[in-house]
Amino acid sequence: MTDQSKYHSWLNEKRSHAWSVYENTPMPTTKSEEWRYTDLTKLLSLEHLNLQMTAGSHLKAPSREHLSETINTSGRIQFADGLISSLQLTSDIKNRGVIVDSMQNPQHEKHQEIIQANLGTVLLPPESGKFQALNAARWADGVIIYVPENVHIEMPVRGKHHFTSDKSTRCSRTLIVAEEGSQISYVEEFQSADSENAMVSSTVEIIAHKNATVDFVSVQNLGRGTFFQADQKAVVHRDATINTLNVNLGSTVTRLDLKTQLAEPGATTKMLGLYFGDQNQHFDHNTSQDHLAPHTGSDLLYKGALDGDSRATFRGVIRVHSGAQQTDAYQTNRTLLLSDKAQANSLPNLEIEADDVKCSHGSTVGQLDQEIIFYLLNRGLSPQQAERLVVLGFLGDVLERLPKGAFRRVVNSVTDTLKQKLSHG
Amino acid sequence: MPKSKQVENLGLDDDKYRFVDAESHIYRTRPGLDESVVREISQHKEEPAWMLEFRLKALSIYESKPMPAWGGDLSDLETTLKDIYFYVKPQDQTERSWSDVPDKIKTTFERLGIPEAEQKALAGVGAQYESEMVYHSLKEEWASQGVIFDSIEDGLKNHPELFREYFGTVIPIADNKFSALNSAVWSGGSFVYVPKGVNLEIPLQAYFRVNQEKMGQFERTLIIIEEGATAHYIEGCTAPVYSTDSFHSGVIEIVVKKDARFRYTTIQNWSNNMYNLVTQRAVVQANGTMEWLDGNLGSKLTMKYPSCYLMGQGAHGSIMSIAYAGTGQHQDTGGKVVHVAKNTTSSIISKSISKEDGRSSYRGLCKVHEGATGARSNVECDALLINETSRTDTYPYIEVDEKTATVGHEATVSKVGDEQLFYLKNRGLSEEEAMALIVRGFIEPIAKELPLEYAVELNRLIELEMEGSVG
Repeated sequence: MTDQSKYHSWLNEKRSHAWSVYENTPMPTTKSEEWRYTDLTKLLSLEHLNLQMTAGSHLKAPSREHLSETINTSGRIQFADGLISSLQLTSDIKNRGVIVDSMQNPQHEKHQEIIQANLGTVLLPPESGKFQALNAARWADGVIIYVPENVHIEMPVRGKHHFTSDKSTRCSRTLIVAEEGSQISYVEEFQSADSENAMVSSTVEIIAHKNATVDFVSVQNLGRGTFFQADQKAVVHRDATINTLNVNLGSTVTRLDLKTQLAEPGATTKMLGLYFGDQNQHFDHNTSQDHLAPHTGSDLLYKGALDGDSRATFRGVIRVHSGAQQTDAYQTNRTLLLSDKAQANSLPNLEIEADDVKCSHGSTVGQLDQEIIFYLLNRGLSPQQAERLVVLGFLGDVLERLPKGAFRRVVNSVTDTLKQKLSHG
Repeated sequence: MPKSKQVENLGLDDDKYRFVDAESHIYRTRPGLDESVVREISQHKEEPAWMLEFRLKALSIYESKPMPAWGGDLSDLETTLKDIYFYVKPQDQTERSWSDVPDKIKTTFERLGIPEAEQKALAGVGAQYESEMVYHSLKEEWASQGVIFDSIEDGLKNHPELFREYFGTVIPIADNKFSALNSAVWSGGSFVYVPKGVNLEIPLQAYFRVNQEKMGQFERTLIIIEEGATAHYIEGCTAPVYSTDSFHSGVIEIVVKKDARFRYTTIQNWSNNMYNLVTQRAVVQANGTMEWLDGNLGSKLTMKYPSCYLMGQGAHGSIMSIAYAGTGQHQDTGGKVVHVAKNTTSSIISKSISKEDGRSSYRGLCKVHEGATGARSNVECDALLINETSRTDTYPYIEVDEKTATVGHEATVSKVGDEQLFYLKNRGLSEEEAMALIVRGFIEPIAKELPLEYAVELNRLIELEMEGSVG
């Protein structure tokens, strides 16, 4: 057997195990606490989804091209319906031993080994839930990003997903491993046309070893009719940092499960989130900040605005495990209601099993600050202009916390989409 | 410093609440629960047929509902309930005069200071021993104004129409497993009616005592405050320590009418082998005010979330709670506010202290229905952790379906600061005195709302519990 076929039989074994878990796991219902506010059967008809893998996915290798150094991107990956169609990398990435490759068809044996050592083993086993199993069985292609020790890649790698077909389930998979002292950022974007009924599942695993820094950004602007189901798990080792930003603007139903583990002393994370709902959009953000070691820090900020008859739920838990002394953990969720029919739920939870900690959370739900609106109206703005300005300021607060420079493009494109959504309202 | 040495010396476990009387009762059902037990209770109380039906219906609902999987650890409860006496009758009737109460029971309450409290300005006093109210009295000046303060059984007997109009309306049988259980086997508790415009300036007080081992106490209280009336009701709870677990599951229903004002204060100091699973709820009509003042110091596990359903325009609900969880204790407490009408307001202030391996959890709901325009709610939770092994949780549920509502929730967790301790020690306080002072300061905003003797008592209890907690 060649290495490639050995690797594929390893993958297939994992997939078929995950598939059997999927088949034996019931669909989550609102009876389960974690799904209390999201009734999938009411919102979508998932049973009509075609769960087959994209035909021939494992046969076709992506085109690999060189990316010029002049643009502020270190790598560009195009996905079509979950498959990598092209993979462009700068010479900077290639020369410094950074791996950005397809997980279905990795180019080298070394890439296979790294994937085999990390994929899905510790972080998100299929047993953790129906959709985790589905993704593990049915991911079409995925990307592995591996950064060797002490390598810093200043400009982000970008992955762009585009989905076309209706009544299908497309699963994507991302694995980021940052070795000691390294640094990388990855931005993934999801887009599709409106459809009748589709599901996009994204699973992301991030490991930052000692002193490493990973910035991860996901911008979801899928068409209506789509169920976007995202699982992200980040494990932060000694003195390392993983920052995440999740922007959810599209799809009909969004369910995000983001779990961050501060596994060793000195680990820190910033978890940012931004959502804007209109029409019948439904967002369910489920986060956890697990402090497993002393001297760790986490800071979460999720902000959203809801128009039309959209609805959002935020459920977040800070867990300070026994012995995780000198922990600083914060959590804030703020939601603006812009219409009479919009609804917001917020469940910021704390579970604290160590005494020497600084922990707090805050949550607010309310309407636009009428005093500011009044002030703007007096300055000659129309009510629409005033509302737009205040909402942009409210949500822009999240974007401002991103590192400047590297993420300028993300900030601009998200701001444009927000402006568009606001003018339709 | 050796852990808890002082506490043992002072003997909180055999302080004035923890003594045991020899078991004595004139009747009790056999341990465990089935239909015949429910029928027996109803028969003993000589109840009308509708109440027996109510009880039997509740029993079948209780049996059909699963044990809650959330909150505290209830895994041993099913077994505990098999051995529990659901009804223990200590004497024949509720006495109106203290001198008629049997000596043994009287001594118990005298040791707890109950008649003493009555002599001090209370409008009325009720005392429940095991399953029945053994004593209930109301001062003549209030009775003459139409105030009713009876045992719940006498309420049903003497005011059947009034009773039936409200009973089971605030907390339906099927509200939760334990409200169903209480509805099936309830016994004891108070029936309070304050007529329109009557201003009951001084509190009514009810005292609950469980003495029998393996006892289940299921008091049921119904309180109706008519338009423009005001009142304050205080309940205190204690029990001795046994090696087996006991069970207390009350249902408290309150109706606060238009422009009325009512405060319900609980100081719960059950022994540390008591499951305390209580459902308390008030409906508040236009411009009415309901205040819950909830102190949970004792019990093995308390699950209790006093609620305000703000049904009338401008209604206000307030919940202030203090929880103390020492070793082996879990206080799963909080509150619920449900805004149904316009311009309703609410506030929840919760403070908890966890010591040694004690665990305090805040669990709360703030719900604003669509159409409750201008509703405002604010929730603040502060948790203080004393030891490395202490635990605290915060589980708020915020559900807002109304655009013009303003809802905020904040929680902080802290330990007693080294700087604070250092400062106070430099001022000449011992470490323990400093600790007690800091903890007293922490609970002060709520303690100051208590009637003086309770505030003193609460401070004393906290001080005792804090002894030996430093080092």
